Amino acid sequence: MQYELRYQVIEPKRNSYQNVIDRLGDQPATRYQEATLDVEPRENFHYRPTWIAGRELYDPRYSALRLTDPYTFADPRGFYYTPYVTNRAALHDEFGKTLGYLEDRDLLAKLPDAWRGVLASVVIPLRHYESGAQLVSVAGARFAHGTSVEQCCTFAAFDRIGNAQMLSRVGIALGGGTGDVLTTAKQEWLDGAHLQPLRRLTEEIMVVDDWAEGLLAIDQVDALLYPLLYAGLDERALLGGAGPYSLFAQHLTRWFADQRKWLDALVTSWREDPEHGAANTGHLDRITQTWAPRAQEAAAALSAVVDDRLNGATP
Amino acid sequence: MSEQATSGPQATPSPQATPSTRRQVGIDLQDAEENRALVDAIRADNPELTIRHLPGLLKLQAAGRMVINRETVEGKLGREWDTGEFQLALVSYAGNFSEWDDDQIIVSWEH
Amino acid sequence: MTQAMPRKRKLPLKERYALLTRDLDWQPSYVGKEQLYPYTSYEGIKVHDWDGWSDPFRLTVDAYYKYQAEKDKRLYAVLDSFAQSQGHLALSDASYLNAIKLFIQGVTPLEYAAHRHFAYLARYLEGPAPRFAALCQSVDELRHAQTQIHTISNYNKYYGGFHSWSKMHDRVWYLSVPKSLFDDAMSAGPFEFLISISFSFEYLLTNLLFVPFMSGASFNGDMPTMSFGFSAQSDESRHMTLGLEAIKFLLEQDEANVPIIQGWIDKWFWRAYRMSALVAGMMDYMLPKPVMSWKEAFELYFEDQMLGGLFPDLDFYGIKPPRHVGDAIAEKDHLSHQVYKILHNFSFAAAFTTSTPTEEHSRWLASQYPDTYQQLYQPVWDRHRRIEAAGGRVFFQGLPQLCQVCQIPMAFTETDDPARISFRRSDYRGETFHTCSNGCQWVFEREPEKYVQAWLPVHQIYQGHCGGPTVPDVLAWYGIQDGDNGEYQGSPDARSWADWHASNPSPAPER
Repeated sequence: MQYELRYQVIEPKRNSYQNVIDRLGDQPATRYQEATLDVEPRENFHYRPTWIAGRELYDPRYSALRLTDPYTFADPRGFYYTPYVTNRAALHDEFGKTLGYLEDRDLLAKLPDAWRGVLASVVIPLRHYESGAQLVSVAGARFAHGTSVEQCCTFAAFDRIGNAQMLSRVGIALGGGTGDVLTTAKQEWLDGAHLQPLRRLTEEIMVVDDWAEGLLAIDQVDALLYPLLYAGLDERALLGGAGPYSLFAQHLTRWFADQRKWLDALVTSWREDPEHGAANTGHLDRITQTWAPRAQEAAAALSAVVDDRLNGATP
Repeated sequence: MSEQATSGPQATPSPQATPSTRRQVGIDLQDAEENRALVDAIRADNPELTIRHLPGLLKLQAAGRMVINRETVEGKLGREWDTGEFQLALVSYAGNFSEWDDDQIIVSWEH
Repeated sequence: MTQAMPRKRKLPLKERYALLTRDLDWQPSYVGKEQLYPYTSYEGIKVHDWDGWSDPFRLTVDAYYKYQAEKDKRLYAVLDSFAQSQGHLALSDASYLNAIKLFIQGVTPLEYAAHRHFAYLARYLEGPAPRFAALCQSVDELRHAQTQIHTISNYNKYYGGFHSWSKMHDRVWYLSVPKSLFDDAMSAGPFEFLISISFSFEYLLTNLLFVPFMSGASFNGDMPTMSFGFSAQSDESRHMTLGLEAIKFLLEQDEANVPIIQGWIDKWFWRAYRMSALVAGMMDYMLPKPVMSWKEAFELYFEDQMLGGLFPDLDFYGIKPPRHVGDAIAEKDHLSHQVYKILHNFSFAAAFTTSTPTEEHSRWLASQYPDTYQQLYQPVWDRHRRIEAAGGRVFFQGLPQLCQVCQIPMAFTETDDPARISFRRSDYRGETFHTCSNGCQWVFEREPEKYVQAWLPVHQIYQGHCGGPTVPDVLAWYGIQDGDNGEYQGSPDARSWADWHASNPSPAPER
């Protein structure tokens, strides 16, 4: 039997914070909007940074890429803190289950030699690439202009450590619960010929001044590496008797699809900005021209080794 | 080198020279059903523990040192327990986490 | 909760954690170290071995996500149920919310600032272990800022003063006190930021700054804020740990670091203590059901726990209690009263309301401050009460002089003479600057080139940068709306409150 509760009706005086009302009208707002719009301070900063000249504490000039109003960009995923950690908790929980399954049945050790080789000498060392990508992303967390943009960079930075930890945990499992595979992987990262183009590129991106250029340069690399090593090897693994590889790689593929959503939307916002669109497009093209060839070189070096091993040329 | 200038009519007070074994360390835990076993375990392993009840909060104090043993907690809880889970129960603390590994968490003052 | 990792592990927790964090790092060889980390030598701090950094909280990313998602699920469930049940009606009184207006205007922006600048540390500290700890703290602080915005969102719908917190933090006079404090920390180098915020703010003074608001919430029926407080506290444990580790690590790395860090402790204790004066005024005067007096909180959280607990630990390294702590102790019977007098006199220009304490409240204050209240402050409040009984209300007709450093109006008195305003002057490049105390003067004179840059709200009003020459012009520029400011009695909040609690509620509207 249904019943209707009576309760005291109190009309709200306003439906949201004033800045949200000014932008969107006096109607109920989403939690994303309230937690993102106009949060970053805009004016009247008291002191100049002692660590850099000619900039304020928050300043659009930390990048050549500008938005007239950073809040014309909104994260298509709608991530503020809570949905972000909730989403990633689920992703990592599933990864943990995958890993548990692989470990219980010792499936990584039972991978065909060639696949174990690819994993140990090409993929696991990328934990360091992810660590470098984190360093690049976190610069955006501090220096991006507008909470809408910096928030995405913050989450991306934390994601990279998450990715690095996923790869590390696979490495530990591959090493039978020890750090042995990670030790070798680190040596490969430092010395292995196939990884030097990538390491060199990563280090050079890490020292790029413009946080957005750094982020986009990393994205050039991601856009090649992720399809190459995760999604791209998926079917090959399943058909080649290396199902466990596909099982763990799927989590990274899933992450990359998520990363695309906000980054592609931001690039669109830059290109279409009413005031800065033309200049931004010039910068975006320059950035692509600068870093794409380097990214291709780095990816090609890895791809060559993967093909060699999987085609049986090198044990 | 820095000097401690006296300011106003009152000199900077000197801190109590209590040896670190006697200064109280404390942890504040959420007073929730799921933390009962944890509190029982801490009480079992720290005989001179005092517990104060505040709304929603349990203030545990001991002289100098407090130890949380995974095995004791698991015994009271009836299931496996990761020391990392302590983070969900913890509200605040006074002292240092001088050890936190797979088996044990220790809160103490160091000097 | 499901367990992600199987039980049998060959690697002990500490080693596994190191492999998942600091071992990700490597020595660059294609770029110079100084290129990658350009900010870590200019402060004079020496670090010889970053590997010496220890991580007591070994939280991997997957565990972080799991625990934090769980905490937020519980918190938002409380927020939703509070909103649904019109929980604000069960507050002790609408006047309580003035404390929360001060909170969202003054504290929430600092959480956000910490979020941004811990990201700076997560990029520019050379050691991977503290970088990761800083990254976790950055994300935590975003959590705090956003959960506070959401917690308080419900109050914003029904009461004044909350609606423009971010703009007001940038513009309004009393909010330049917290804003300038964090701007000071962010404009400093990475190690000073670490000591100022991680140590001084998040460890030394955290209970003094945080507990009064959260306990005040608990005593006054503010369940959402109280729940937020509990939920944030376990994050704060990690932050406190980072602060303590930071200071010990730096002190252990090189003896040359000791005097630099002592100077920062001296500076930041005083700056954060001065900012906490706003909290003192809040806890003694703004809570219909008070929790404890400022004096009692200061004695417990600072004198006992810090001077009595922490500093003996630090003495081992040659660190002494903060330089001007004697002044802070000497003024503990005065601080809250002097601050609230300022707020009471100027709340026509604030985004909260104030009231003369009731006689009952006055009796409580007298019991908490037996040496000063009845002698010095009660006579002032009695005078206000007489004026108000006759239909008046005193607001100060003019603008106050602000301290160049802490930016609080210069209304503090000499610690040895409550009849004399504490007034200090310093000269720098042919100009005279004023500060409110030995502490602020010392802070000014150590870095005058920094403090002369300050955007002092009163100067800015006189220079015409704040909307116009009249009070209404300035209030409009501040974003203050009718009902936000002035006297609580008879305010829109007070009238709404009376309406909503009337014994004959108006009938429900026709469907």
